[in-house]
Amino acid sequence: MHSKKLGWLLLSPTLLILGLFGVFPFLYVLWVSFHEWNPFAANPAKLFNWAENYRKLVFDSQFLASLGVTFAFAVFAVGSEILLGYFLAQAFLKDFPGKAFFRTIHTLPLIMAPIIVGSVWKLMATPSIGVIPYILKHTVGFDLNIGTSAVAAFTITVIMDIWHWTPLVTLTMIAALVSLPPDPFEQAQIDGAGKRQIFWHITLPMIRPALIATVFIRLMDAIRTVDEVLMLTGGGPGSATRYVGVHIYKEVFPRTNYGYGSAVSIVVLYLTIVICWLLYVGLIAPRVRKV
Amino acid sequence: MSNQPETGARRPGFLPIETNWFDRLFIAVVIWVALSLLWLRLIEPLGLSIWIATAISAVVGAVIIWRG
Repeated sequence: MHSKKLGWLLLSPTLLILGLFGVFPFLYVLWVSFHEWNPFAANPAKLFNWAENYRKLVFDSQFLASLGVTFAFAVFAVGSEILLGYFLAQAFLKDFPGKAFFRTIHTLPLIMAPIIVGSVWKLMATPSIGVIPYILKHTVGFDLNIGTSAVAAFTITVIMDIWHWTPLVTLTMIAALVSLPPDPFEQAQIDGAGKRQIFWHITLPMIRPALIATVFIRLMDAIRTVDEVLMLTGGGPGSATRYVGVHIYKEVFPRTNYGYGSAVSIVVLYLTIVICWLLYVGLIAPRVRKV
Repeated sequence: MSNQPETGARRPGFLPIETNWFDRLFIAVVIWVALSLLWLRLIEPLGLSIWIATAISAVVGAVIIWRG
């Protein structure tokens, strides 16, 4: 009994911080989502409007379109990051000249603030001044214009995200791969297993927990991406890169629609949790044993 | 200490995964939100109130928490 009380006492600072900075803001946003609230209007009071914001949200074609492009972005970006990160981790486990230098260079994007990444890519991708349109025009004759082409803008945001976050996947994959015991691999080689068989039947099942944790982290990050994209394309052209984070930003800040923005935030949080939970159920959760 | 099962103990029910009471509460809330949003979009324009979806969700949630 004494140790239980001591346990709660030791946990209390963490619970207090979690409550203040995690639970309370969530409950506040949930409460605001049931109100019509524009704090800069003539009447800045919160007006309780039941589920009106949610009713508006399910018919909001701009929000539904933003959900679609966000999931496309998340699938392309996270899928590419996982594949690239794994192969880069495998490459960095081998010895080659300048390995430490390349590993450091490769990790540099990770320490950059997203707003800086967006600015750098904007400078590189802007037509007439950017290095990417210049190189593409003078090598393959392709006229890249992220201001007018929806596909180009979407692709550039995906490539930017891959450039920024692949190092994180590489680092987690390196950590997972170096922690694997050598015995199963040696035994498989003695038994005559090929590289592909070793990958599918030994490496992949053994790094699965790290892989799934990385997918969860990256998926959550990709769904809530705002600053990089806002800096690079501003959500355009049209609504080609208006991802949900950008949509929420535009509802809350320029349009000062706090109630509706909160409702969209809550639904996006809900979808993120559900997606991760479905992945957890599909890949990790213990199954009921049929007797 | 005692023979009573812990409150967080996992037990099999009709759900395909092993769950504790919090997992089942979570699943009930997920279903409640999904049903409410779908109701607002598809059923409410036909004239049926959102409270019907809430009542259905409460029943489904209770079944999941007790039997899931």
